[in-house]
Amino acid sequence: MAAELINPPPSVPPALALRMSQQAPRILQQSSGPSLPYPLSLLTASEAPETWIGYENLMLACLRTGDDRSARICLEKLTQRFGEDNERVMALRGMYHEAVAEDYKALESIFRGYEEVLKKDPTNMPIRKRRVALLKAMNRPIDATTALVGLLDASPTDAEAWAELADLYLTQNLYAQAIFSLEEVLLITPNAWNIHARMGEILYLSSLATNSNNDGNLMRGLCESMRRFCRSIELCDNYLRGYYGLKLVRPLAHFHSPQQPLSTNTSTNNPLKQTTKHLLSLLSKTSKPAPAAADPQFGDLAPPSLATIERLHELATAKLAEIVRRNAAGESGWDGYDQAEVIAAGELLGRDAQKIER
Amino acid sequence: MILTGILRHYAMILLQSAPKKQTLPQVRQQRSLMRAINLRNNFNVISASSFQNRKAFMVQAFKDGAFLADPEARGKPRPNPMTDPAMMEGMMGMMKGNVAMMVPQTLIMGWINAFFSGFVIMKLPFPLTPQFKSMLQSGVGTRDLDVRWVSSLSWYFLTLFGLQPVYNFILGSNNAASQVTQQMAQMNQMPGMGPEQDPDKLFLSEAENLEVIEHYWILDGVEDRLLAKLT
Repeated sequence: MAAELINPPPSVPPALALRMSQQAPRILQQSSGPSLPYPLSLLTASEAPETWIGYENLMLACLRTGDDRSARICLEKLTQRFGEDNERVMALRGMYHEAVAEDYKALESIFRGYEEVLKKDPTNMPIRKRRVALLKAMNRPIDATTALVGLLDASPTDAEAWAELADLYLTQNLYAQAIFSLEEVLLITPNAWNIHARMGEILYLSSLATNSNNDGNLMRGLCESMRRFCRSIELCDNYLRGYYGLKLVRPLAHFHSPQQPLSTNTSTNNPLKQTTKHLLSLLSKTSKPAPAAADPQFGDLAPPSLATIERLHELATAKLAEIVRRNAAGESGWDGYDQAEVIAAGELLGRDAQKIER
Repeated sequence: MILTGILRHYAMILLQSAPKKQTLPQVRQQRSLMRAINLRNNFNVISASSFQNRKAFMVQAFKDGAFLADPEARGKPRPNPMTDPAMMEGMMGMMKGNVAMMVPQTLIMGWINAFFSGFVIMKLPFPLTPQFKSMLQSGVGTRDLDVRWVSSLSWYFLTLFGLQPVYNFILGSNNAASQVTQQMAQMNQMPGMGPEQDPDKLFLSEAENLEVIEHYWILDGVEDRLLAKLT
């Protein structure tokens, strides 16, 4: 079985998913060859955990690419091996049924099935998570949030669930709650640079959306956002999202205009545009910023000096340009970036260049 | 002998009782405690105000026993472990393991004793000092016998201890065939078997740990660190 099936990247891009699912016929045929009768099969069967992880990932890829028949076969193999009552198999079966469900009614019956299972065994975490995902898919974010909060009350050390909760809150524009959830994720995985960067993004969004009339709060939010980006770069060199955010946080000269990108899709990093720029304009507006904004009672940090921000911005610009250039040239070691993110970074750089021309 | 080892391995697997499932409140209790420990270890990733909020919440909740699996049992002394059915089950599991280990051992030893004691089985092709006599000639009471002769009983012990790699090869590395590792495992288990700690006490001590933390923020001065590193 191919390496990408056994150990896939955390978020599988569509192209890779397609490639994985295209291997399905070959793998499934290979493994369903003639097998010896029971006592002898024990001797020949080489059973490794990787086999089953491979089947699981293959099934997920097949479901994504619409190859329901292969997914069914994978599911049957897993069921045969681990039994109907295995929690993980139950969740996978639920996922399969959700994928092949024709209409809203079918989804609702699956949902009732989940409720039944949970009534019998409330500790079945995979099924609880499926239930939340199903609620989200049925476009009931409020219910999904409630279910997820219930799950987290029982199991507050689940980083995945906290991150999901942060996303759910963000779709409902509840920034403070989203930030709280991300803080919980960070408490569990303190060195997750992507979460640090995500936190910076949400802090940026929230301070622009909620505090636009209060300079002190706005500045505090932007400062923390900038520092989050710094931390994410500190943890992971050449992290594109971190540099992107760092460049954005530098304040823009005209600071009141750019509110419109905030309403767009939150998963793209476009709205992150002008954080540092904002920060700069704010800092230059208040002549003596440091003592005013620092609140020793809460231990908030004083905003950084103008020179630091400028230098950070220069650094971010240079680094982004390097990443874009090297990625375009296809240099080895620089090709792991998400294409969309590189394009966005290039666009951000381009915008800056235009302004200088003017 | 190898066959006995393999048999024992499979008998152990058969006799193993699956770990008991925890109920939801127990899961909650355990993971809430974990959460507090996480907060204690990784407090520096969040801001001081967030940390204070969390600390205040957790300390209060722990003192009220909000996360306890059964709040009624709070403050009562622990029941005798012998009367606790869950405890008994654990003991039974251990007993089964022991029996599965003891029975074949006794049988083989009896068999070996009955048939092989008192005579030598092989002669080593190299000379040895007399100190090896007790190791190689147990069960043979002759003082003047050359050390190079190995009695059957000694040979049995030697192979018993030397078979571990063979079992590893046949059964995979985590097998239950060799009693040497078994005994080691039991030694390690013993302290864990002691009376389980009162969750309420754990929570209270964790609350104290949280109280004494002096907060610092990892984001403090991160921009300067970054600039120093990259330029």
